[in-house]
Amino acid sequence: MKTQINLSGSLYAGMIRDLTRPHPFAAERVGFVFGRLGSLERDDRLILLTRYHSIPDNQYVEDHTVCARIGSEALTWAMQAVYFGRSGREGIFHIHLHGGRGEPRMSAVDRREIPKLIPGFKSVGPDAAHGIIILSSDHGSGWVWLHGSTESIRVDRISVIGSPVELFENRREQ
Amino acid sequence: MSVDRYSRQSFLGASAEDRIARCTIGVIGLGGGGSHIVQQLAHVGFQHYVLYDEDIVEESNLNRLIGATSADVPAETPKLHLAKMMVYRLQPHANIRGFACRWQERPEPLRECQIVLGCVDSYKGREEIEIACRRYLMHYIDIGMDVHGKERPVIGGQIIMSSPEGLCMRCMGFLTDEKLASEAAQYGNAGPRPQVVWPNGVLASTAVGLAVDLVTNWTRSSRTHAYLSYDGNQGIIRPSITLLNLPVKTCSHFSESEVGDPVPLDL
Repeated sequence: MKTQINLSGSLYAGMIRDLTRPHPFAAERVGFVFGRLGSLERDDRLILLTRYHSIPDNQYVEDHTVCARIGSEALTWAMQAVYFGRSGREGIFHIHLHGGRGEPRMSAVDRREIPKLIPGFKSVGPDAAHGIIILSSDHGSGWVWLHGSTESIRVDRISVIGSPVELFENRREQ
Repeated sequence: MSVDRYSRQSFLGASAEDRIARCTIGVIGLGGGGSHIVQQLAHVGFQHYVLYDEDIVEESNLNRLIGATSADVPAETPKLHLAKMMVYRLQPHANIRGFACRWQERPEPLRECQIVLGCVDSYKGREEIEIACRRYLMHYIDIGMDVHGKERPVIGGQIIMSSPEGLCMRCMGFLTDEKLASEAAQYGNAGPRPQVVWPNGVLASTAVGLAVDLVTNWTRSSRTHAYLSYDGNQGIIRPSITLLNLPVKTCSHFSESEVGDPVPLDL
């Protein structure tokens, strides 16, 4: 099964702009981006990102053991947004930036912490796809939990439909 | 591949060859305009194609169909076959997914494209492609030409680029309810429209130029939309006066709720 993500150039630029802003105490920013499902051939899947939510500064929790920690207020907002978007099968993706160039991978903290959010999102939006997107300065990687699956799938390609078109292809297996 | 093959287009940027080779491009309609487009895309270096055309070569196509020969008429060669052969002769390892049907009958492969080029005759056909491109977040580039008048014929045409979150063909004043209604009223009575090879070539070349710029951004223009008008009598392409005079800055015809597969309603 192939999974692809499309997003517009303006959405991509807006997310990069927000995620690169310095935070008063957190070492990095995180955000949420919403995605709707599109069908491809066979059981391949297309996820179409529509809008980005910037997490307000005061919804971060000061914790210097990690680069960024968001509090329950931000998570509650995200769960509610998924719940209200369920009629459109709109899922949510946790997104953040890793410094540097090239294909980003999940850090040990990412692998340990972020997937814990997914069951909560699936419980309020069971028909949608949810996941994780990590961007670098010139690439991006995604992991998605599709409807009915407890395992993540690595996104094969992220296409930024802007000028220029950017294609972030998965060159690693997982 | 020869190191020199793309040396004359190195001004497109150091990564241009790789960007062009990885992009998936769709072409709907492989007749007078689409045949030019496919040929040029192959020359430029595109490797991934999704092509649609259900027609076969007819005698009346030979005045403009690139790649067609007289032998293709009695052979009833599909236009899709001609397009594929043009690509393979230039790009033997190209990945071509071709469909000898209307794109609406096999819409899923089209959604893998980043850019779709439409070479269809009707306003309705253009509207349907644009709606699909907005729904699945793809760039759409449309070309079309017509000849008006019999006493003093005037060749006109347009090249339009419509991108997600940019102005659409309605915003740009090209698609209107009046045009669509008029076309629907004349359905079946229009007869064959005049078509000649050189305006198709001009329009197709300009469309390919827009596509290459979208992939490489070599002009640094970062376009979000384009509406170029062609005056075939003067041999001039210029930005559409209609668009220049419109006060519209953002698209009000497509919303994010219309992105993705339509969701069934429980009634």
